[in-house]
Amino acid sequence: MRIAYVVLGAVFGFILSRSGAADYDFIQGMFLFSNLQLYGIMGVAVIVGAPGIWLIKRRGRTLDGQPLSIEVKSRHRGNVAGGVLFGVGWSLAGMCPGPILVNIGEGKVYAIAALAGALVGAGAFGTLYERLQGFFGLPPLKVDGRSFFVSRRISTID
Amino acid sequence: MDRLILHNLPPMHWAVAGIGIAGIVLALLLLASRRLAVSSGFEDICSLVLQAPYFRRPTVVSGRSWRLPLLAGLVIGGFLSAMLGGGWEPTWALGMFDRAIGLGPAGKLAWMFGAGLLIGFGTRLAGGCTAGHGIFGLANLERPSAISTLSFVIAGIVTTQIVYRLLFPLAGL
Repeated sequence: MRIAYVVLGAVFGFILSRSGAADYDFIQGMFLFSNLQLYGIMGVAVIVGAPGIWLIKRRGRTLDGQPLSIEVKSRHRGNVAGGVLFGVGWSLAGMCPGPILVNIGEGKVYAIAALAGALVGAGAFGTLYERLQGFFGLPPLKVDGRSFFVSRRISTID
Repeated sequence: MDRLILHNLPPMHWAVAGIGIAGIVLALLLLASRRLAVSSGFEDICSLVLQAPYFRRPTVVSGRSWRLPLLAGLVIGGFLSAMLGGGWEPTWALGMFDRAIGLGPAGKLAWMFGAGLLIGFGTRLAGGCTAGHGIFGLANLERPSAISTLSFVIAGIVTTQIVYRLLFPLAGL
């Protein structure tokens, strides 16, 4: 089963690599409004993904019949503060998290430094979590940090 | 038309790329009830060596078994893209950064490490990145994802405008 995730990741990585989503100049072009390619990619991915997700949720089960459960992200002040920090980093590096890994695969040496920074940054966040919790209103850790959406439509669909 | 830094290749059509990414999102959800995530994988990697409670959450420990293979796949996808697109070789090429800012290898490593810190800390504070918030979260109509996506896109626009229009202006922009 793990090999299936490697294959899906490789297809995803290939698309990011060849579409410009992992290209420094395309990222800057998006933020300068001189190259709209990436807005098109994200827009199509969301517009095509939305009805697909809706249909799968309506079905309520995975392909092999397991009940569907989607991890829900919590809402707190970190959504804006973290988003802003990430946006600055995305612009400076010309890479968001997926493309950091894609660029390493492509042979772009400097992307290794971006990955090292990202791991130190994520490590620092997790280590400082309890101290950041109050200020940003982050969810408590004891209950797993996240709630789960469990489809309640299974019975009504069947 | 703009070309990729990678072997000066022409880019894939944006609609094809968007449909392909939507296909990945839907496959993960339909096959295994997974939501697309990449930056969560960074904390999975951290959890292999760090012991703080945050890294011992069930969602991290149970998610590692599929997110780490997905992350490995991203590296392989980039490698295959280079191989099939003209050959794989290590490179420092960085497009307009080289023309406008022009730092050498050591400077690029420092610049990228600093940017990486913001990416790693910021995505975990926001609870997701372009994948989990920007694509899956928006497509699933989740409010925190809309707020985060708006925040990182606006911050990216402001930063790039400052870097390339004020600090290191490029001729022709």
